[in-house]
Amino acid sequence: MPSRSISAAYLGQAADLAGNPGQLAAYDSTGHCVVLAGPGSGKTKTLVLKLARILAEDVRSPRGAACITYSQECARELTRRLEGLGLREASNLFIGTVHGFCLRHLLMPYGRLADLPLPFPLTMATQRQSEALLKRSGDRLFGVNHPWKSIDLGRHRRSVLDRTADDWEAEAELAAWTEAYEAELRRTGLIDFDDLIVFGQRLIAEHDWVLPLVQAKFPVLAVDEYQDLGVALDRIVRRLAFEGDVRLFAVGDPDQSIYGFTGADGGLLTDLAERGDVERVQLQLNYRSAARIVSASEMALGETRGYQASDQARQAVIAFVPCDGGLAGQAAHAVAEIIPVALASKPGRSLGDIAVLYKDFRAGNIVADAATAAGYDYVRVDTAAPYRKVALTSWIEDCAAWCAGGWREARPQLRGLLDRWHGFRRTRVRDQQARDEARRLTALLWSLRDDEAPARGFVAAMRAGLLDALMATEPGLADQREQVDRMTEALAVGGALAEVDMASLGGRDGSPLHLNLLTLHSAKGCEYDVVIMVGLDLGSLPWHNESPTKLRESRRLFYVGLTRARDEVHMLYSGFVDTPRGRMYRGRSPFLDELEQRMAEAGTA
Amino acid sequence: MRISRVRIVNFANFSNLDVQTGDSIVVVGENKVGKSNFLRAIQLILDPALSERDRQLGLDQFWDGLGEEKLGATVEVSVELTDFTDDPRLMAHLNDCIVDPGPPMVARLTYRFQPKAGLEGDPESLADYEYVIFGGDDPDMVIGASLRRMLPLDVQVALRDAEKDLSNWRNSPLRPLIEELATSLDEEARSEIQEQVNAAQTELVGRAEVVATATRISDRLSAIAGTQHATPVALGLAPTRLDALLRSLRLLIDNTTRGIADASLGTANLVFLALKSLELDRLVADGERDHTFFAIEEPEAHLHPHVQRLVYRYFLDGTDGDEDEPPLTTILTTHSPHIASVTPIRSVVLLRHDPTAGATVGVSTAAAPLTTRDEGDLQRYIDVSRGEMFFARGVILVEGDAERFLVPAFAEALDMPLDMLGITVCSVAGTNFTPYVKLLGSRGLSIPHVIITDRDPNGTHPPFVRRRLISALEIVDEDVDFDAMDADEVIEHAEPFGYFVNGDTLELELWRGGLAQRMQRVMLRELSLVQAARNRIQGWVDDPATLEPDRLLGYIERIGKGRFAQALAPRVTAAACPDYIRRALEHIRDAVA
Repeated sequence: MPSRSISAAYLGQAADLAGNPGQLAAYDSTGHCVVLAGPGSGKTKTLVLKLARILAEDVRSPRGAACITYSQECARELTRRLEGLGLREASNLFIGTVHGFCLRHLLMPYGRLADLPLPFPLTMATQRQSEALLKRSGDRLFGVNHPWKSIDLGRHRRSVLDRTADDWEAEAELAAWTEAYEAELRRTGLIDFDDLIVFGQRLIAEHDWVLPLVQAKFPVLAVDEYQDLGVALDRIVRRLAFEGDVRLFAVGDPDQSIYGFTGADGGLLTDLAERGDVERVQLQLNYRSAARIVSASEMALGETRGYQASDQARQAVIAFVPCDGGLAGQAAHAVAEIIPVALASKPGRSLGDIAVLYKDFRAGNIVADAATAAGYDYVRVDTAAPYRKVALTSWIEDCAAWCAGGWREARPQLRGLLDRWHGFRRTRVRDQQARDEARRLTALLWSLRDDEAPARGFVAAMRAGLLDALMATEPGLADQREQVDRMTEALAVGGALAEVDMASLGGRDGSPLHLNLLTLHSAKGCEYDVVIMVGLDLGSLPWHNESPTKLRESRRLFYVGLTRARDEVHMLYSGFVDTPRGRMYRGRSPFLDELEQRMAEAGTA
Repeated sequence: MRISRVRIVNFANFSNLDVQTGDSIVVVGENKVGKSNFLRAIQLILDPALSERDRQLGLDQFWDGLGEEKLGATVEVSVELTDFTDDPRLMAHLNDCIVDPGPPMVARLTYRFQPKAGLEGDPESLADYEYVIFGGDDPDMVIGASLRRMLPLDVQVALRDAEKDLSNWRNSPLRPLIEELATSLDEEARSEIQEQVNAAQTELVGRAEVVATATRISDRLSAIAGTQHATPVALGLAPTRLDALLRSLRLLIDNTTRGIADASLGTANLVFLALKSLELDRLVADGERDHTFFAIEEPEAHLHPHVQRLVYRYFLDGTDGDEDEPPLTTILTTHSPHIASVTPIRSVVLLRHDPTAGATVGVSTAAAPLTTRDEGDLQRYIDVSRGEMFFARGVILVEGDAERFLVPAFAEALDMPLDMLGITVCSVAGTNFTPYVKLLGSRGLSIPHVIITDRDPNGTHPPFVRRRLISALEIVDEDVDFDAMDADEVIEHAEPFGYFVNGDTLELELWRGGLAQRMQRVMLRELSLVQAARNRIQGWVDDPATLEPDRLLGYIERIGKGRFAQALAPRVTAAACPDYIRRALEHIRDAVA
């Protein structure tokens, strides 16, 4: 019997799937299902509708569904889309990262019972603590200025789960460093993010009794962006699905696997899809990009996928743009020439429809300087961003969106904001306390409504009103608190985001009035009318003499950049790169050569 | 799912009660010992009808033994649940409450009433107290009202006014059934019924006698108020609208001649329970709850003993995990041996006052070391009279009816009135005392008990009593090697444990112990004997040395040992009490003192 509390809004939207056999097959699937979804193929829509249908038709509270995705931002997007269907995160609907899932639904309830060698209650190390311990343990082992990188330690730790295997000792220094670092963590009574996944996986792998408990709570497990999740999650998923009778709905695109350096492996998804007991669904229709961009992307990837553009008639611009002056010259050209033309070429197009994509935050600095010089407002997403997006900062942003006018149209929904607030507690609170807090929070948000105020005052009021008290009592939020502090610093007078108002803080994917500056990695999942990729020179993308594996990943990164565009792709290059050792003339990116050649051969240039 | 353990600390009669429980729970114990408070305690965790205020205890609900120390003490009640792993919905409810992954997997729910967290210094009044209900070991893992709604405890209080409940439409358990009936009628059925009602209405209203009465009323109205003000009236049935009609349906008894209000209290209670049981089925079928803990306080009230047994067998047998049965855990409190006698042997929770602790302590059969066969034996043999065992302070286990009649008689003669001492004589109908020893022993109900049994010589072999005693001793005295002992050594070893043995069989002991003449009188009265036999018996009386035991026992068996003993019982004297019975009586008297 369908539960009365579930909205039937999904039924209306599901009617739209009729013209798309792939989406319909996924929507109608009843067993394990893997959806291989090309760029712009409506993957998120399919996932969200399927989740809504499952919650309405297949499970009833207290049983429910867990939806695991790659990042906090992806989770936020899913939450937003589900709210559009009248579904909120609830005790029987988990939407979050694999870290969040492992913490709340594996380690907290069962970690103690399983005698996991972790300090309880679980306390997360902040980024700063974690970095300090990494440095201390590394320096102690190898001396100051040793050549080993913590990013490789992370990859090794996440990808080799069996520490008794030869693979673990194969990178002996990383193994030793990991062990020393973990010992330091434990000595301080802390765990870090990777611990969550490593021990979550261990719990699932070693304790059979956990499986029926998880299955009882979450008979359905959805995984988004599967290609970006590493081997630990893959093991968790396989064990739950094929030994624990949990129904799996996985969505992803191996071609967009760009997180190999963290231990992710797109091949895991391909393998999963090939299983006999899994229904494999391929989404072929690209609703995003013009036909020429769809075919050019496939050429850039160098693989035949047979993707089709939904709108065959749409005109596209694909431009190879040589620029003098290296990255700075490219950035200057982008803001001076490309952006004004792009803005003028389509009525109603605004800065928010345009994105400049680049390799890393150093390139981002150069682009940001150019944008500032040209007087453009911008939002920037890369590792040099003033704060990292975590659940708490995302929640503050959404609260800002609500207060800055979102309350008029219930976007986001107040109820969802309140539920997420309760979710920050390590444990469930008493009904009475929950009601009191909801009332106070509602009153606070209502009092902070303002369409134009700077975000600074808003965040300060939120902190004084409720947030600081929450963060003080929840040791588990220590890491997130650090990001909230950074947010506060950035918004302060003189800070990087001093000018940001509440609407902009709350604006997702930037606001219409802000140019988008993102790394290629951060651009995944986003789409823009006009995509300007800078730094497409050999020595940048790809690096020169990359290993074949890395080269393949760089190619996928290039592919991700191309496929963000609806109408126009501008690929900027100079033929050289600037390095600490001087200017290196190695020519433009070979990806451009290949693409241009293939387009010429196909007669589409 | 079932409750597998209940702990109650500092609440009402309980200082620190900790009992394991079986499939269902039948709480037995004397008046005032805390049977109802046992339910109240579980209600604090599971009853969705309790308000926040109800859960905020008063000092009078703290254990009295705390005396002046009440303020500052913590009241805690916890139930452990198990056997839920075959139902994923229950698993999902209890997901965060697991305390033992098992198997069997165990979840725990705890109510705690304690000084507020973060309180500086000692609490000054109950205003400084708060309660928390949490799952598992972590007090921060708070349990909300939704769990109580889906796994509720539903308590039927003692001496409930079933008749009033039935007549109050809003609370009546009849209401959902009628509403279900109303919604199940299709249009066709509805209009058909409506037509029938209308036809009956028309016919009734049209009858001359009815019209005449209505006219008399109308005329008088006109006479009083004049035709201007008086509206003409008619007589008819109201209401006639179908849904209202259905709501006015009432339960009728005795071929629809009488309403439930005219029924005896017992019948009303029975009807009430039947309706309640149907309601529980419906709530589960509609998905409004996933399990019900159904508690009935003192169900014996107003019910004939025979009906008591039938009714509670229905509820107690309904919880054996059958697929079609509603997911129900039955909890009863009773002091009726009739109900105790139909109680599944593993379900008894016995509460008794411990004067030393000044508190009620509890023991149960759930963890007694009974084998499946023992359980079967006990279940078969425990009838109403053996059911009294559960309420006794002490138990004398005997072989059969002969002892059952004679032992109380001797006790009376020795000025140890068993009823007043709370001691029950229980016949095991044979010589298999072992299951009873397990049931009453320290790992079971911990009720002091003695065994009175015959030596039963066996020719050149060791007497039968040797094996019999060893089998019981092995339960209470595990580390001894009895194989090496001969019969007399075993008997000697057994006596401190309360196991008393005669030299042969009871009847021979009695004959030789001075009751020969009285036994002769019973035999002569009960049997029609030829003169030779009469003479033979007279010879045994005159010279006990000539007694032929087999022949004597033969005569007695022709009367029936029980009947014989019953006839003899009023004639026994203190002096004639066999020594082993006297020692047994003294032993049990001292044990219950």
